[in-house]
Amino acid sequence: MTKSSMTQQVFRPPNEHWTPVSPRMASARRVSLVIAMAPFLIAVVVLAAVEIPRWIPMSLLAFTIVVAVWAWWLIGRRVRSFGYAERADDLLVTSGIMFRRLVIVPYGRMQLVDVVSGPVDRKFGVATVQLHTAAATTDATIPGLLPQDAAALRDRLAARGEERTAGL
Amino acid sequence: MSDQDPGGPIANLKGEGHGHGLMTPMVPSEYVGRHLADVDGRRRVHPLTPLIHGLRIIPIVLLIGFSTANSFAKTGDARFLAGVLVVAVVLIAPITGLQYIAWKRLSYFFDSAGDLRIDSGVLQRHERRIQLSRLQAIDVVQPLAARLVGMAEVRIEVAGSASKATLQFLTVGEATALRSEILARAAGVRHDAGEAPENVLVHVPAGDLVLSLALQAHVWFFLVVTVLLVVVTVLSSGPAGLTLLVVAGGAPIFIVFSEFSKFFGFTLAESPDGLRLRHGLLQTAAQTVPPGRVQAVGFYEPLLWRRRGWVRVKINVAGVKSSDQGSGDRAYSESVLLPVAPWPVAIAVVSRILPGVNLQALEWQSAPRRARWRSPWQWRCLAVAVNDSVFAVRGGWLERRTCLVPHARTQSLRVTQGPYQRALGLASVHVDSTPGPVGITGHCRDANDARELAEAQSDRARLARGAAPPARWLR
Repeated sequence: MTKSSMTQQVFRPPNEHWTPVSPRMASARRVSLVIAMAPFLIAVVVLAAVEIPRWIPMSLLAFTIVVAVWAWWLIGRRVRSFGYAERADDLLVTSGIMFRRLVIVPYGRMQLVDVVSGPVDRKFGVATVQLHTAAATTDATIPGLLPQDAAALRDRLAARGEERTAGL
Repeated sequence: MSDQDPGGPIANLKGEGHGHGLMTPMVPSEYVGRHLADVDGRRRVHPLTPLIHGLRIIPIVLLIGFSTANSFAKTGDARFLAGVLVVAVVLIAPITGLQYIAWKRLSYFFDSAGDLRIDSGVLQRHERRIQLSRLQAIDVVQPLAARLVGMAEVRIEVAGSASKATLQFLTVGEATALRSEILARAAGVRHDAGEAPENVLVHVPAGDLVLSLALQAHVWFFLVVTVLLVVVTVLSSGPAGLTLLVVAGGAPIFIVFSEFSKFFGFTLAESPDGLRLRHGLLQTAAQTVPPGRVQAVGFYEPLLWRRRGWVRVKINVAGVKSSDQGSGDRAYSESVLLPVAPWPVAIAVVSRILPGVNLQALEWQSAPRRARWRSPWQWRCLAVAVNDSVFAVRGGWLERRTCLVPHARTQSLRVTQGPYQRALGLASVHVDSTPGPVGITGHCRDANDARELAEAQSDRARLARGAAPPARWLR
């Protein structure tokens, strides 16, 4: 068994039904990336206008482009790495490329399910579902859901949580 | 519930018939609501309170006195002393005066719904309602200034509220009586039943505490820093510089002393209304953790404690919701269950506070040998164990830690893997518990084992939750 397929098996058990997140999230993240890169481009223009050696703005430009291209590519992979599986008694969330993780949240432990959507996300029509338990470290976040899917998932999770809720 | 709503025409009408000496129907409605809710009469904190607030700044006066003593020594002692006295009066008098007004405006009572109300504030009135059904912990604390005159403050903590409610100051007797009254009301039993009987489980001898501090590396670090500071100061500015050292170089030794002073006379007792933790040399605290609030337990063994078989025990207590995890001050107040104790005692105490939890028959499974490339120091110690009631992890190098969480207290589970771990085919399992000092992480398991462990723990947690009796207040 190759190393990558083994990792696949650990963090994305193949016998579950995994729901991927919308590829629209990649577009949203890439727009955020361009916005984040804008100050660097402005810096390049300003540096090019003042009396300093040419290579300083040029190397900054090259650096910015390399980072942007790398991040552009990484965003695509990262979005594909997200997935969730609703099982009978718990929710599985998997994500990450470099740092992989699999979160198991029992429905009975959920205290709060949030749907949040920032301005860029709203433009692209995606929303994020966040699960909270009594533990601060839970960190179960499913980004890149279509708004109607996010709302439906929230309602399903809330209903299951209510059925199985347990005290602390 | 509606009759404690301050205001509204209905409250106004009801208020007239209540017989609490309402003046006229013209009284502003917020006053009507307050009188309505008042069932057992309003109470005040002790009249000495303003003076205690004033006395609290005496250390600052002394510090000013000390640090200026040198330059004044030549001009004669009497004038210097008089100067310090004047400074003291000038600083203390206005504080006491302001606090007197605050004292006059502060009162507390139990309303008709059984909740504690605290009304305070001079310019801006603050009416606080403390829902006793959500009580988390209640402490009786004696700061040094209050202790000198036999006073104490009561700190009340409620789930979902970011800050503690504090009542300053009551006599020690009043404070303990109020604590048992609040606990009894919260449990829904007669509130004049008096203090619940308690059963002392452990008392930490002062000798053990001193020795346990002396056997910790960070204590030596601080002591060495202090010595260095003293030597450098004396060499550079002569013995006269030592007075300055009180302010400048005192910090490291103060850290050591405050740890000693915090845990001095540590007594752990059990009573029907919860665990009682008493400790403190200058400021004494008596904390009560209601039963069933302990979520996870950690045992910590610094290197030099191992030969003596000593261990420090910390706990996670169910507290504020994850949404305001940031309020760190709470927390960690009742996080030390035992500052130092022999292993058998620690185990016995933990079995008492986690009833029905079996700490025996833990079969430790070590991390695979290749974990030494990822965790070269602690890999020998890394292990996890599971039995029918707890999930336990072990780790650490100089300070060994053993942390455990009962299956029924498992919140969520995570399996994580960084790039280096992936190259080695390793992964870590995390069992999430409520915020606190104890983190349950099984580092560097074989990746497949890690997932199986997490899946199995999820099942065990579900079964244990189903079987667990509902959390009860009084047993």
